[in-house]
Amino acid sequence: MKKTVLRVLSLVLLVSVLVLTTAGCSAKKQELVIFSWADYIDPELLSEFTANTGIEINYNYFNSEEEMLAKLEATDGGDYDIIIASDYIINIARSEGLLKEINKEKVPNYSNLNEKYLNQYYDPDGKYTIPYVAGTPLIVYNPDRVTCEITGYNSLWDESLKDQVVVMDHMRNVIGFTMKSMGYSLNTEDPEVIAKAGEKLMALKPNIRALDGDTPHEKLISGECTVGYIFTSQVSNVLMECPNFKVVYPEEGMGFGIDSLFMPKNAPHEDAALKFMDFMCEPEISARASIFTQYINCNSAATQYLPEDFLNNQAVNIPADVLGDIEFMEDISTEATEQMNAIWNEFKQS
Amino acid sequence: MTAVPETKKTERRISPAVIPMYIVTVLFVALPMVYVIGITFLMKDEVFGITNQVTLKNYADLFSAVNLKVFADSFVVAISTTVLTLLIGYPFAYFTARFSQKTRSFIILLIMAPFWINSLLRLNGWIILLKANGAINEGLLALGIISEPLKILYNNGAMMLGMVYALLPFMITSIYNSVEKMDWTLIEAARDLGSKPFSAFLRVTLPLTMPGVVAGCVLVFVPSMGLFFISDLLGGSKVLLLGNLIKNEFYQARNWPMGATLSIAMLAFTFVFIIIYKKVTDDKTAGGLK
Repeated sequence: MKKTVLRVLSLVLLVSVLVLTTAGCSAKKQELVIFSWADYIDPELLSEFTANTGIEINYNYFNSEEEMLAKLEATDGGDYDIIIASDYIINIARSEGLLKEINKEKVPNYSNLNEKYLNQYYDPDGKYTIPYVAGTPLIVYNPDRVTCEITGYNSLWDESLKDQVVVMDHMRNVIGFTMKSMGYSLNTEDPEVIAKAGEKLMALKPNIRALDGDTPHEKLISGECTVGYIFTSQVSNVLMECPNFKVVYPEEGMGFGIDSLFMPKNAPHEDAALKFMDFMCEPEISARASIFTQYINCNSAATQYLPEDFLNNQAVNIPADVLGDIEFMEDISTEATEQMNAIWNEFKQS
Repeated sequence: MTAVPETKKTERRISPAVIPMYIVTVLFVALPMVYVIGITFLMKDEVFGITNQVTLKNYADLFSAVNLKVFADSFVVAISTTVLTLLIGYPFAYFTARFSQKTRSFIILLIMAPFWINSLLRLNGWIILLKANGAINEGLLALGIISEPLKILYNNGAMMLGMVYALLPFMITSIYNSVEKMDWTLIEAARDLGSKPFSAFLRVTLPLTMPGVVAGCVLVFVPSMGLFFISDLLGGSKVLLLGNLIKNEFYQARNWPMGATLSIAMLAFTFVFIIIYKKVTDDKTAGGLK
């Protein structure tokens, strides 16, 4: 009997100590919960933010944005303070009312942002998002081994490129550039256009050496492939390793994407989130974020902090007149997705 | 009348120690399986996830031309992988089992050691060896045997190499186990009774090691239907196997119900094969022993 009492008492003591210490911690420490892809923010920037503000950062990763959206729906826009994701998924989250409006007074550095990247279709009034970085897939090739002239998407079909091309293993991008090569929008939902694009795509298969969305730059650097249609940071990687490679801004127009920061509707630490947004809009910080990710910088005031090799890099510094002809990849109807998926499976299987 | 003692028997066999195992099995195997089967009868939601509208459309879509071709391709790849691993694995396991105990365990250790490393890393090792500026091409170029790097990667051959490499240990260990257990005096008896070495092998060794061969074939065939990262990494994503098709439905088409339906179809397909294998071996082992 005595023993049990002792046991219960010691248990109570233990629990109360635990509760007190954890309660003490949460009262003292401020927290910011970030949700994005792994390694998408320079860890040095995060520790600088913590050093400056005393706010601890809890960085959570997602593998796919669909997974992020599902969690956002499940928690009704709670749990996370800052999410970095791409335009189309933000548009879906906005249509579901999962975003929180940004109090711009608390983000004075917002004025540094380049207007070209503001008020886009996913946030037409610029109320919810802060652009992080932008990007566009580009064609990059080895001029020593490519004999034909490459000007745009249609050049990828050239017979001399047999078994030499790498493009991303991504249905929407590949069918998208096929439709653009025919003069249509990459968001076309017209079944006849999609079917025609499917026929044209099958003719590309003999030229495809590999489909790869993760490490296509390595295939170009190693000499496995001579031409690639790959994402911004990958093009940038190729240029750093092989400066003689040429970049092509496709004449048919470019696909485009902006990844932005936003707060979910019920973000638990709004003040900390606003501080983080302001921090990321500081010119020098923004410049470092672009250098880390190797994507296009969206901050007008950051240019002076960008090193020369970054400014000379054709993948991340695209002339303004070229960048005019861009198109965002938007979410399309279920019917169009299903039709594209059937084409994509047939393309890969052939 | 016979039912009474039987129930008593089963009652005695259930010990409280197995209850956690049953709970784990029900929670983490049976329930997810029910969930997967459940969503095969539902519709894809506009953006993401599923709606509660019941349909049989997914099962009808299974029989589209592309899906049937992918099934056929995967089947051919799985059968080829099984045959190749068997052709390499059987002699390997047979001769390994004839070494001394010490050498044997060392060889088996060497077979198992790579399993301690993630298979993706091991496949990337192959890429480093085989790529255009990799060790093999650089070596051949330096020796003057070739003037242009060979295109070894990103074709069916490279993919088959990866499949055989990844699954060979399953075949070797299964066959090794049954060869090791075999009673060699039976072969001596066959030889004493005038059998030629090859005929002794065919009529004594092979039937006796059949359980190992069959276990190895099942262990290789079943996963080779579903592996997707080998055709992605070494085949350059140009070969669409069942595993890739399922992954594609979930990741790119965001069609969970279709992905689930394909998974169930794959499961049914492999299940049929396991049953056939079982039937075949039961007869053979019985025949061999008698």
